Amino acid sequence: MASAGGSHGIARTARRRTDEQRQQDLDRIAKYRGLEDQIREQAKAHDYASPALFDLTTRLLRLNPEYYTTAAWVMALEGVAEYISERHYETAFRRLLALVLGCDPARPKVPATYEEWAEWYNNHDESTKILEDAGAGRNSKNVANDASVLQSELAFTIPLLIEFPKCYWIWNHRSYILSLCIELLPVSLAREVWTAELGLVTKMLTKDRRNFHAWSYRRRVVARLESDVLDGKSMAEQEFMYTTKMVNQDLSNFSAWHNRSQLAPRVLDERKADHVARKVFMEAELNLAREALNVGPDDQSLWYYHQFLMSQILPEYKCGARSWSRIAPDLTLEERTDYVKREIEEIRDLLEDYKDVKWIYEALLEYSIALDGMCKDKGTTRPKQELTEEAQTWLETLRQLDPLRKGRWDDFAQTG
Amino acid sequence: MSDLHKLPDELQLATAAHVKYIQGLDTKKDQYEYWLTEHLRMNGLYWGLTALHLLRHPDALPRDETIDFVLSCQHENGGFGAAPGHDAHMLSTVSAVQILALVDGLDELDRRGKGKATTGKFMADLQNPETGTFAGDEWGEEDTRFLYGALNALSLLGLLNLVDLDKAVEHIVACANFDGGYGLTPGAESHSGQIFTCLAALTIAGRMDTVDVDKLGRWLSERQLPNGGLNGRPEKDEDVCYSWWVLSSLAMIDRIHWIDRDALIKFILRCQDTELGGISDRPGNMVDVWHTLFGLTGLSHLGYPGLDTIDPVYCLPKSTLDRVLGTQR
Repeated sequence: MASAGGSHGIARTARRRTDEQRQQDLDRIAKYRGLEDQIREQAKAHDYASPALFDLTTRLLRLNPEYYTTAAWVMALEGVAEYISERHYETAFRRLLALVLGCDPARPKVPATYEEWAEWYNNHDESTKILEDAGAGRNSKNVANDASVLQSELAFTIPLLIEFPKCYWIWNHRSYILSLCIELLPVSLAREVWTAELGLVTKMLTKDRRNFHAWSYRRRVVARLESDVLDGKSMAEQEFMYTTKMVNQDLSNFSAWHNRSQLAPRVLDERKADHVARKVFMEAELNLAREALNVGPDDQSLWYYHQFLMSQILPEYKCGARSWSRIAPDLTLEERTDYVKREIEEIRDLLEDYKDVKWIYEALLEYSIALDGMCKDKGTTRPKQELTEEAQTWLETLRQLDPLRKGRWDDFAQTG
Repeated sequence: MSDLHKLPDELQLATAAHVKYIQGLDTKKDQYEYWLTEHLRMNGLYWGLTALHLLRHPDALPRDETIDFVLSCQHENGGFGAAPGHDAHMLSTVSAVQILALVDGLDELDRRGKGKATTGKFMADLQNPETGTFAGDEWGEEDTRFLYGALNALSLLGLLNLVDLDKAVEHIVACANFDGGYGLTPGAESHSGQIFTCLAALTIAGRMDTVDVDKLGRWLSERQLPNGGLNGRPEKDEDVCYSWWVLSSLAMIDRIHWIDRDALIKFILRCQDTELGGISDRPGNMVDVWHTLFGLTGLSHLGYPGLDTIDPVYCLPKSTLDRVLGTQR
């Protein structure tokens, strides 16, 4: 078992090459392996700061960003370390940028000279402070140089990320450079860099709304921006609003709904919401999910969010001894029962317009059985029992609508 | 599987073509792609060899050369690189141990390699003592894939005692979601790949009691789409590789019968290149050894005739595990 190694979504074509194609392949191989050999040769000298080595690794990584070994990313990384606060950047990094960014139309604007960098960060309100904060032994020129090196390296990865959005090593390298920004730059400048990073994630999520690496990355970037090292404060409200925006654009975005489910309890805690406020919040979310279901009752994303909300109400949702209930943890059994009853009625109403959507029957079955258990057992465990006549008909309909999961419905009929 | 014998020829398993395809993988040195994927060579060998074992052609690759190659990738620190000259990494080390287990060559580690103990130590040292998670290498990010890989290979070596299992389990439990699934990190959405790594790690650690089987089974069974294929998350497209991630997870919680076997078998068979061999992600796409293995493991889980039984936890033939770990597991 290992990481994803396959080709995805590439149409099968004839695997026989013409002589010309074969020769082209051989030429490319010679070039590629030549690069590898030169890198290994240079690396033997352990002179990672050599601009020539840096240039070679840059070219290799352009050809193959999956190349994880010392000879590439790690050296690129050490190469960067060597350039920090050195004056070599004028040569090696300009060459690097010319190589990497010169051919990509999506490249960000990278300042080309020290003067341009100075101008870039003179535009920031706190620029004077930044220069003063630069600290003992680190003059403004050093800071500017560090910023330049780090920004260049961040820019280096952007066209690669556009081409290889799931390549782990690019993200890894980028994370390392970003952590160096915190270590080496004045807080307000580092914060600028990290804020720009959040902008990049937002852009990526506009292009690919369900990229779970990007969502994970977003949570990490936000956590850093919230942390003390960047003079941050909680961004839960703002991130919660971002999920509102994302689901409004596209209801069928489970990743956005998921993030919303993670942020909701935090938002309430930070608002110091009392029991009533929490109930109001819960009802608003239930309404939001239900309105969406009225439009798209076939959409699993919406049903999972609805299920998440119900997991906050139903006592049977537990992870070991831990309850999932964090939105309104103090609901009384009566309040819980009322919610479940209302949801069942609302979902039953959906049947008027949608007779052949299996999710409706599944939800009705789950919630009505849970309700029975809550009524009889004061909210602890669900007793085994006969299905009501109505539940029997739902189960029968489910079997017809969902033959793929016949085995599951058979088990369900037996165990209830 | 009542109507399988009625399937047309192109929907029969093309065993001979697949064997030939896998045997041919290492003869493609005049293709650019071969060199671009050198960082996956060790994994590729493991994928191909396991596929050959499932196809009941375990000797289709020469055993001695296989062991020689594996050992040539080992570093002083005990870890293995993907190919000679590549850095040691958790994933290639796990593959190396799995390959040696497959060819009954684990003892070669002590005889000609850096030793089982050193190999185990390389992996164990990548555990973060604070969080219980594992990194991929001395630079890398932590990921439940590495945690699972480490537990898999260390248990094959009989060296699980080198790691803090309780901490590892604690981390996995923190990755659980209300729907019974697991995400990449605590707070991340459920994903079939992560569910597999978490369940397999929990099985090895003997802690399946922490799993919400009914909710998870329900979530996993909803991964089957009308065309028979499985997807990795809600509202995503099907892909043959989920015949491993989803199906093995269902197997570990004893719920394979919650999806339609015949429909999935037909989907996988439709992804074959019956002429030149190999299996792709979807019908009509380029084949590769990774999807070939996971198509075959899927068929094996579904009891397709003519294939050896795959173990849902280790991704090795059951016979290999019986030999290495004993039948009492």
